[in-house]
Amino acid sequence: MAPSVLYHCPCFSRHLVPPPPHLASSSHSFHPLHTLFFCEECDAVRCNRCVSVEVSGYYCPNCLFEVPSASVRAEKNRCARNCFMCPNCRNTLSVVPSDPPDVGDGRIAPISTVGEPPFFLYCSHCRWDSAEVGITFEKPTGLAAQLQKSEDSAPDSLEFERLKEHFDPIIRASSLSSSSSAVPSSAAHSHHLHSTSITAAASAALARDIPGVGRYNPLSRSGRGTGSKDRSANKDEMPDYKSRMDATTASKMGSGGGLPDVEFMRHLENVSDVASLEQRWSYSWATSLQTKDLKPLRIPLHSKRSKRCPACTHILIKPEQKAQSVRYKIKLVAANYLPAISIALPHQVEKFGHASAEAAKRPYGKATVLTDEEKEAMSGLLAGETYPFHVSLTNPLYDPIQVKLSVQRMHVAAPSSDPGTASEKARRPPFVVSLSTTPFSVAAFAEAWEYDEDDDILDDDELEARLSGREKEPKPKTKTVGILEKRANITVVGGEVMLRKEARGNVKFNMLVSYTYRADDAPADMGSPSKSKAPATKTFAFYTVVELGPIIPREETRIDVDT
Amino acid sequence: MESPIYYSKSEFIETDTGNKVSRRATIAGPQNIILGGKTIISSGAIIRGDLRQSRPGHAVVISLGRYCLVGEGCVMRPPYKTYRGTFNYYPMKIGDHVHIGAGSVVEAATIGSHVEIGKNCIIGKFVIIKDCAKVADNSIVPPNTVIPALSFFAGSPAGFVEDLPESTQELVESQTKQFYQRFQPLDRDR
Repeated sequence: MAPSVLYHCPCFSRHLVPPPPHLASSSHSFHPLHTLFFCEECDAVRCNRCVSVEVSGYYCPNCLFEVPSASVRAEKNRCARNCFMCPNCRNTLSVVPSDPPDVGDGRIAPISTVGEPPFFLYCSHCRWDSAEVGITFEKPTGLAAQLQKSEDSAPDSLEFERLKEHFDPIIRASSLSSSSSAVPSSAAHSHHLHSTSITAAASAALARDIPGVGRYNPLSRSGRGTGSKDRSANKDEMPDYKSRMDATTASKMGSGGGLPDVEFMRHLENVSDVASLEQRWSYSWATSLQTKDLKPLRIPLHSKRSKRCPACTHILIKPEQKAQSVRYKIKLVAANYLPAISIALPHQVEKFGHASAEAAKRPYGKATVLTDEEKEAMSGLLAGETYPFHVSLTNPLYDPIQVKLSVQRMHVAAPSSDPGTASEKARRPPFVVSLSTTPFSVAAFAEAWEYDEDDDILDDDELEARLSGREKEPKPKTKTVGILEKRANITVVGGEVMLRKEARGNVKFNMLVSYTYRADDAPADMGSPSKSKAPATKTFAFYTVVELGPIIPREETRIDVDT
Repeated sequence: MESPIYYSKSEFIETDTGNKVSRRATIAGPQNIILGGKTIISSGAIIRGDLRQSRPGHAVVISLGRYCLVGEGCVMRPPYKTYRGTFNYYPMKIGDHVHIGAGSVVEAATIGSHVEIGKNCIIGKFVIIKDCAKVADNSIVPPNTVIPALSFFAGSPAGFVEDLPESTQELVESQTKQFYQRFQPLDRDR
């Protein structure tokens, strides 16, 4: 495995220091840089786990039609056009005429708008077709509308309609009351800010008294008793719901393990006749056990989402309206604020280079691709050895930054180190990382360096630099710790990791990165601690976890370590 | 920081626009194929530019954008169907920064930009892949599937797994550019 760097998101935890990296729980709070967001207002990193998400648009993933939110509810979050999913394998179905002209040559029937009715739905992956379950169409367009009749008379949708009718007045009532009385009290909680009538109804239902269960009153926590009136009103209003169909009669339809099912199982000859759980559980109603009763599914809609900072509710991500556009109106991603860090082990880089060179020299070998196993074997770190590693930082800001790296000492954070593998031996950490803690600068990012299209000169220079760098690599044994290279907006610093003889597991450590930059707009930054006078500077610090790779224990045969 | 990927200089032909095409690749009907520049065709790849529409005149069968990679042993074949009784091939269009892993078979109609396709995938006929999508290794994408933008597909038949991060475009762009730079001839070195 190649060395990796993940970034820490505290997610409102009071402990700004991340958990020690060898604990399994540590992976929960570390993310790749490109999945993180950055809130300018709060001056903080946000991740997908802590941002609040809003739907900004719906679309069908198959026909890519943008569905207006009004019809989303009416269509029960599914595509109302010609998009259906195979009940057998979840592939999208296509409409085929019943008598395709080229059925003889064994090819997949064409998707054609002309042909013999009746039309039916056909799965090009598992060859399921809707004629098997008796669904055919008179014309190949507007299939959903043609199916609507049979869908609407199905017991599950009738039951759902009845449920909706039953709860509708309650939702309306609670939305009225929440808009009048509940809002001031709930405004105290930030997550109640966007509460809709539905969530209000749901919370009212949850807050109802259940005999024998202690009374839970969320509003009493905030020291207000205003909510109690409308809640009790809700409780009184709520009549008992009577289902259209009794649960015991429903099972006769072949789902509840009644006699028909036993009979079916008894005469079972083929396992695939029984619909698997996966095939059945997306239905809203208990369905038959038999594969032959599976109905085509309308494709559920996807959504485009905008994301907000959970603390200040500023928008971090706002997509463009068009469903298939990959551009954003607002996009505050951490990659534009934090320096990008990549880690390399020079001895690995060397080896991969050699291996690919060897492969290229061979006349009829597999040219360049290394298998993962080969990489694995080469990337191992032998216990008891010392390895240099390179940390390269890329500055995304238009101003130069001063960076300070410091390795979080393992035994401070975790007095009992790795509990699983080396609990009795290793009171000491299995490896020691030495990294210079003196601050160094990373030059500003300039768009000009991005243009590698037409300036071949720069390309060549860089190539040359890289090649010559590669040649010289074995020579500078003298200096492995400290600044190694500076070019454009990239600075490479070296470090060293010394593995103990009895070391096991992975080389993985937390690293604190703090960087100072010039704050060109120094407006109301409330909480920033370091602020000097004229050239206002700001310091931002974040944790990363660095994983260099697995340690190969001593006892194992030395594979290909000799250079 | 990454190690260079070397190739033997005698194996690859480099064009003026920086395309690198292996001599061990099978390019049928090269006059019907467009490469955008800085695109790499690895050895063993088969690109069927000869399967063109039957109407007379010049036709573009397969077009690839910039910074693309066609992996080793890939097969790129334009999709075909019989429409109103006539058999025809249809052109295949691929955007910029598209990497196709080794051993994949592609019969898609359209592939957007910044798309990653894994190793040993089968992309069925008339599949449409939108921008910034990703297909996992060893996936089977059945014919006529639509893969929406910024979605990750995997499995057999390939299905939606998760949304990709918002910065996928920048990520893929820098990765494909980096790959092109790492891909160097061996003879310069020795």
